[in-house]
Amino acid sequence: MKIGQDSILGLFFAVTGCVALWIAIQYPFGTAGRMGPGYFPVIISSLLIVTGICVVIRSISTSGDAFPAINLKALFMVPAAVVVFGLAIEPLGFLPAVLLLLVLSAATSVKFRFDWKASVGALVFSGLCTVLFVKLIGLPIPVLGTWLQ
Amino acid sequence: MDIFNGLMLGFSTATTFGNFLYCFLGVLLGTAVGVLPGLGPIATISMLLPFTFGLPVDTALIMLAGIFYGSQYGGSTTAILMNLPGEASSVVTTLDGHEMAKQGKAGRALAAAAIGSFFAGTVGTLFIAIAAPLLAGLALTFGPAEYFSLIVLGLITSMVLASGSLLTALGMALFGMMLGMIGTDVNSGAARFTFGTPNLLDGLDFVVVATGVFGLGEVLANLENERSRSAGIAHVSSLFPTREDWKRMAAPILRGTGIGVLLGVLPGAGVLLASFSAYALEKKVSRHSAEFGKGAIEGVAAPEAANNAAAQTCFIPMLTLGLPGTATMALMIGALVVQGVQPGPEILTQQPALFWGLVVSMWLGNLMLLFLNLPLVGVWAKLISVPYHYLFPMICVFVAIGVYSINNSVFDIYMMALFGVLGYFFKKVGAEPAPLILAMILGPMAEEYLRRALLISHGDASVFFTSPLSLGTLIVAALLLLSIISPRFRKVREEGLQEVD
Repeated sequence: MKIGQDSILGLFFAVTGCVALWIAIQYPFGTAGRMGPGYFPVIISSLLIVTGICVVIRSISTSGDAFPAINLKALFMVPAAVVVFGLAIEPLGFLPAVLLLLVLSAATSVKFRFDWKASVGALVFSGLCTVLFVKLIGLPIPVLGTWLQ
Repeated sequence: MDIFNGLMLGFSTATTFGNFLYCFLGVLLGTAVGVLPGLGPIATISMLLPFTFGLPVDTALIMLAGIFYGSQYGGSTTAILMNLPGEASSVVTTLDGHEMAKQGKAGRALAAAAIGSFFAGTVGTLFIAIAAPLLAGLALTFGPAEYFSLIVLGLITSMVLASGSLLTALGMALFGMMLGMIGTDVNSGAARFTFGTPNLLDGLDFVVVATGVFGLGEVLANLENERSRSAGIAHVSSLFPTREDWKRMAAPILRGTGIGVLLGVLPGAGVLLASFSAYALEKKVSRHSAEFGKGAIEGVAAPEAANNAAAQTCFIPMLTLGLPGTATMALMIGALVVQGVQPGPEILTQQPALFWGLVVSMWLGNLMLLFLNLPLVGVWAKLISVPYHYLFPMICVFVAIGVYSINNSVFDIYMMALFGVLGYFFKKVGAEPAPLILAMILGPMAEEYLRRALLISHGDASVFFTSPLSLGTLIVAALLLLSIISPRFRKVREEGLQEVD
């Protein structure tokens, strides 16, 4: 059997629904007149499970589109660059964090070249961002973080 | 306060130097980001959100609105010049707009879009000024049962209008409601789905999810076909419509405006529905119907007018009921809450300057768009042609800064990365994220109104069917669901919602 788009999405819904239901039944359910914190979550997560199962059943009974190939490099690199930005912004500060995110995400592209023009461009763009966001808009983020001061 | 006094107050608010300047900045920035291929209004607003922080509430709202319709118009420019719709509602514009561009009539297509949009924007603004106070007055009589039914209608409309199957859209909406439940339960104070982390006690920030799914997710998806991206941009020649053009587009603009104004108020996906219906109607009634799809100016003017009229009037339910009709409006509510404003029926009486200032600034913004876009079209064409490998790292930087600046929370950045991956996943499996985004903000409201309605009725669910307004709303929702089973409507829906990516 081919793994179709639908079967994966259906499984995603069903599994998310199961996890949510398992958590939600631990909250007080209450009654219809006095809904507890568990009332609505139990209903919605149950519906999510049912929907997920229906999507899976549909994927078995009909031949849907196959799951397309994924660009693993972009899928890993770009979110990783964003996480690095998050890790860097407090200890290193705004300017280094922006520079890191810019270079790391740009490296994902097939057209990425590390030459002096690109480096100068990245530096200038990070500098402009710093002036714009920290100086002009006044976001309360230090330009250089605690490690670099 | 009557409309005339309201508009006077609005003029005095909107024309203060600061507000006027930020309205202009919003429109300019919104268009500049909106023309970039693959960036729709949602991604644009969430990227530009930090620019509105630190501004007074009215200025911030005026600027946000400017960004919103700037990005809408920018999207149409890209649709016409490059055949790349920034969002679903400009798909229709590509049909005839890009065809005109290929025939060397790009300038006239852009002018038709701009003139249609301006006229529709003016009518839409007037409609807000008349209808919003009426609806706000009516809304004060709404009880929790009416609100709950309206939310159900909004969710069902957004599911029916999402591309792909209804079942998938239902799953996305339910998943969005689950996401909305994360955080402290307002009623009992219980922490729900927080996985023990204090970062989730205040809930998952809506803007973070929208930015991840629409901003970062879009980048991930675009990097896929990086090599096959061809930047074929049509050359822009004369911008002036001929006498023949004027004659042909006058009636379609009028009809498109009418459709847009009415459909924009509907909860659900009003803007999208408006542009599709306007196009379909013109195709039926036009004397030049054979030219449709081959560069008919009516096919640009009518949906663009409808699109823009609906973009104005979809502010009505958002401002007066506090219920967002579209994913974009849901994001606007998110941005307003960041500013400490809770939209609802009281906004007109408690903050009249805010409301009327926004109404007038919308009209001024549309005027600016007309004078900004046509002369600057060369600049926009240059912006569109910036290669993607320069563009996407900058997009990553802007979304990351935008998300961090909301709460100064590193946790939000990680969440955005996670939702970027999820957004990519949804794109891969063909699930449209719009119902998810809308449900995430409507879900907690639905729970709260359901709880209140059932508390009043002592657990008796018939309360939703005894109030005529609630019953009527639910009947409309049920009819919408039934209509999707009808093969004829199904065919129209499939044709209309064909995704162009």
